[in-house]
Amino acid sequence: MKNGKLTWIVFSLVFVLVMGVSAAQARTLDEVIKEGVIRVGINPTLPPLGIYNDKNQVDGFDKDFSEAVAQKLGVKLEIVKVGSPDRIPFVAADKIDYVMGGMTRTSARAKIIDFTLPVNTEVLGVLTTDKIAYKDYKEFNKKDITLVQVRGTTPVQFIEKNMPEAKVLLLDNYPDAIRAIAQGRGDAIVDVIDYIFKLTKDHKNVKWRIVDAPVSVDFDCLGIAKGNYTLRDWLNVAIFELHTDGTIDRIWEKWFGGPMIFKIRATEWF
Amino acid sequence: MHYTLQYGQVLKYLPYLIGGAWISLQIAFLAFCGGMVLGLLGAMGKTFGGSFTKRGVSAYVSFFTNTPQLVQIYFLFFALPEVGILLSSYDAVLIGMTLNAGAYLTEIQRAGFVSVHRSELEAAETMGMSLFQSVWHVIMPHVVKVLFPPLSNLYILMTLGTSMAAIFGLEELTGRAFNVNAVTFRSIEVFSITAGLYFLVTVVASLILTLLGRWLFRVKAKVF
Repeated sequence: MKNGKLTWIVFSLVFVLVMGVSAAQARTLDEVIKEGVIRVGINPTLPPLGIYNDKNQVDGFDKDFSEAVAQKLGVKLEIVKVGSPDRIPFVAADKIDYVMGGMTRTSARAKIIDFTLPVNTEVLGVLTTDKIAYKDYKEFNKKDITLVQVRGTTPVQFIEKNMPEAKVLLLDNYPDAIRAIAQGRGDAIVDVIDYIFKLTKDHKNVKWRIVDAPVSVDFDCLGIAKGNYTLRDWLNVAIFELHTDGTIDRIWEKWFGGPMIFKIRATEWF
Repeated sequence: MHYTLQYGQVLKYLPYLIGGAWISLQIAFLAFCGGMVLGLLGAMGKTFGGSFTKRGVSAYVSFFTNTPQLVQIYFLFFALPEVGILLSSYDAVLIGMTLNAGAYLTEIQRAGFVSVHRSELEAAETMGMSLFQSVWHVIMPHVVKVLFPPLSNLYILMTLGTSMAAIFGLEELTGRAFNVNAVTFRSIEVFSITAGLYFLVTVVASLILTLLGRWLFRVKAKVF
């Protein structure tokens, strides 16, 4: 997930502090194999990427994916819980070998850490019903359109800036927002479709539709320490295999209740 | 840790927040007035009605005073559309708060009814007053005087209670405070200003109620 400027500043500061006190060296591929354990940073507060299951253990897409990676490498998986602002310092200070948790690759982040090939996508798009036939989010910028959003989330500001004509109904949480659209209180929601689409399963009487042209697509990768090429190169090959043999698709459908909306094309030149 | 208060970043949203306070005041005032009427009818039904009316009113009162207001409005907002009744955010909150206030005000006003001397009612009857006339001319002036403090309290509670309307998409004061907070991240500043506005709103509202009471029913309440 993309974070605001503020988070960026905070994490840069934390990063500088952490780097100042520890000059740890990132573990190479050989060291990971020799020690028999790969340490992975997962954010357990980002369902369904990372959640606590009913046994209070970290679970979710990120965990299942990392399980598959560890199996390929023949090592044990050690999960380290990270949060959005501190996850990059965790990698940079070599407390973990790679980090997940919706690690969208951006050029700003790539100054500090390296990214592998993408594992999954996040589509910021428009979810609506069959009542509306628009094909682009810009068409929703009309006075007779009501967008149902969740109060305090970033798409609200995006709408204010880019879709100022549309009416906005702000509700308290995602299930309420989806229900409001199902009941006809509003026409659509602009948000990360992957995360909210599961909620439409509660309203089977409505014909849901994802607007064809996404607002934007983020690519989530594994974040690893700058310059740790031995590990990154191996991970890239592993990610290619997990894409082509259908493992990632299978894990995704297990946690998201449907296929990835914007598919990653894993070609032989991937 | 040191935190530097930055009111400057939030103050430019003050007109927006005041707009929200106006909606809060509106909702609370309308719901209170509606609740007073409902409560008066309920209290009359409970005091003078037949056993059927009494039971009906009791059922209404015990339902609405024993379930949370939030749940009641949630029902109006999210359950009624399933049977084809789509209330807007404003209507759902207003109706919910009115029904809830009506239940509490039934009990408050009934207590006032009971405090009226039997002889006064008999005198009214002797003078040929109808039920409504004796309620308006004999019971109400009496009741309002006795009940002024609990009524004002309920009114203030109701004004503060409008803060949950944000959950139903109503852009009143609290909803707008959350919106400003999401943009500025200045929680302490935003919510301290919000608290100040609520204070102002309730003070202004009790002032209006006091004046109304003095003018309509000659309640000897102090304005300040």
